[in-house]
Amino acid sequence: MRVVNYMAKIDETVCNGCKRCETVCPPAAIKVVDQVARVDEEKCLACTKCWHLCPEHAVTMIPRPDELYVGVDFDEVDPAAIDSLCKKAHFFPEQFVCACTLTLAKEMAAAIILGAKSPEEVTAMTGARSGCAIYCMGPILRMLKAHGVVIQEPANHRWYDLSLSLWDVSDEVAIKYPGYFLKEDKKGFNGGSL
Amino acid sequence: MNFSPAVTQTVMRSVHCPEPGMRAVDLADIVSIKINELFPEMHQGYLQNEGIDFIRKATEAALSGVDMHKIRPDHTVNLLCSEHGFYLLGGLHYREMLVTIRNVVEQKTGCKNIRLRLAAGMGSREADEIIDHFNLKKYFNGRVRGISAFDKGIPIDTEIGTLFGLAAAYNADWIIHAGHDEPRDLYFYRMIDRLLKAFAMSYARFETRSVYHGNFGNRSGAFLQRAIFDAPMVHEKFAFGCFLRMTPAGITGVDASADLHNLGKKITIDLLKDYGKMLRLFAEVEECIVVLDGGRYGYYIHAGGIVFGCFENAQYDAFDLSQPAAIAYYDMLGKMAQGEQEEMDHIMVVNPAVKGVVFNQAWPGIPMAGLTLDVPTFVVGSKQVEMIKMDAANPSFMDLSEGVETLEAAMTMAKEEAGTDKVLIFDGSFGHINLSASLAEELIKKAPAVSSNVEKKLLPMWLKQRGIVGE
Repeated sequence: MRVVNYMAKIDETVCNGCKRCETVCPPAAIKVVDQVARVDEEKCLACTKCWHLCPEHAVTMIPRPDELYVGVDFDEVDPAAIDSLCKKAHFFPEQFVCACTLTLAKEMAAAIILGAKSPEEVTAMTGARSGCAIYCMGPILRMLKAHGVVIQEPANHRWYDLSLSLWDVSDEVAIKYPGYFLKEDKKGFNGGSL
Repeated sequence: MNFSPAVTQTVMRSVHCPEPGMRAVDLADIVSIKINELFPEMHQGYLQNEGIDFIRKATEAALSGVDMHKIRPDHTVNLLCSEHGFYLLGGLHYREMLVTIRNVVEQKTGCKNIRLRLAAGMGSREADEIIDHFNLKKYFNGRVRGISAFDKGIPIDTEIGTLFGLAAAYNADWIIHAGHDEPRDLYFYRMIDRLLKAFAMSYARFETRSVYHGNFGNRSGAFLQRAIFDAPMVHEKFAFGCFLRMTPAGITGVDASADLHNLGKKITIDLLKDYGKMLRLFAEVEECIVVLDGGRYGYYIHAGGIVFGCFENAQYDAFDLSQPAAIAYYDMLGKMAQGEQEEMDHIMVVNPAVKGVVFNQAWPGIPMAGLTLDVPTFVVGSKQVEMIKMDAANPSFMDLSEGVETLEAAMTMAKEEAGTDKVLIFDGSFGHINLSASLAEELIKKAPAVSSNVEKKLLPMWLKQRGIVGE
């Protein structure tokens, strides 16, 4: 469960409508309308990406009038289905997949089983990727694909479809480059002695 | 024992963290020991505000052996750098190296279209701050631009599939990488291809960084940097790399080459030896309170050339490649793989020697909340408390951490709770360490045995594991 206490506020007199904030917003809470960025307060998870990347410094972070709670109750989803999806995606259900929000793989799997079909929807439901917004993108795409979601890459470099993982590396490459322990790490994750 | 007074570091002001009311070096019982007092054999380097002329000459000498004949006057060149270099010993050495690279390339090739691309982890605000602070627009005649991991990407077709770099980094006929060899977060890349790691990841899209950390193991992730560097598109554009050479005792020189594989091997030998000693010495610390006091993310602030992230994980020997994990997260995954029912209520199991952490000044922005689960943490100053509360990368941090108005009050509380008076300050230092006299005595006593163990036992093993010698 992620508790959100802040939200982004746009100074409309400064915003130039460049869409930089819209492009980088993980839950897709910002839309530029009539050359001005608008924040959907119900969706903003206060990740501050817009604050960091706005070229005009038009964003400030302000306290929310009321806390926003984000999270999926994985107990409401069939545990066998969660385990199956995690296994297919090569995750352990109890492992963290977002180091910022400490979202567990089983919560992310539950969100996808409940209908999340894009990284933005996973973020909106679980809060994952609402911190640094960097390190859990690959795992999110990995889990979505394992569930059979057809990934549609956005047009505006919002994100690229990249879920490459250890399990995609061929044995040929692993053997060719022994100094990188590709074979050993893969074996370890699969139940050997990692 | 008599010790030298503590040494103050100059810290760049930043919008990313408020200035503290008092620096940790100004605490009553803090002293300083030089790295050479611990390891006399380590080459003394230049420190803050020293040796700028030396850097210029060393850069010119290093570049004299680099073939640049393919760069034509009508070509475009991107001189790639990252924010990390500007935080090393005040950053003036790094700027001098960058300016000298540009000057030498202009002189040798006649090419005037050399653009500085500055990669910054936080984004354009951070890059803009650095550009202003170091007056880079003036030094590069306006040809400077910040780039971030969220900027438009460019596909890089590698031996294991398509990865994504930053278009603004690669959009030139030639690219030059200007880096440094300070090991930083080696618990992630394990000192495998040090030079390639910073090159590949500094100019990568966030998705590439994500799969590096999230979709590979603690050793195998290093293959991504190799795959990117060896990709045809990168290979065709790569002119050369130029690096500040550093030991825990300071900046010692500059090296350059187009062949980063071979230069990397040479540099790795030095890094394993010098930083190996400091890391193993830190691993011998039995107990201490850590004070973070610098203008940087907490994990990346140095003490004696070692970042706090390395000390936090000092219970692992990150150089020992026979160990699959050098950080608790991967260790836990390993246990889960073997069927152990690990409750991951700790994302970071901290080095047991860390009995408490005082945040006097450290940037938010990367996940550190796991620290609060393991050790008492104290945040100094209401402004810094508010900033951390607002930090989405650490949403639960202040739930388990105590805000304290002054540093002195925080130290009193930390010492009482931790039950130790030993203090280690991470404030960006190289060449020396600021710490309590009690801890200084402990380090001086233990250093000779550590040095001997590294030279005779560990270094040969670390090198052999990397295929550098002995095989």
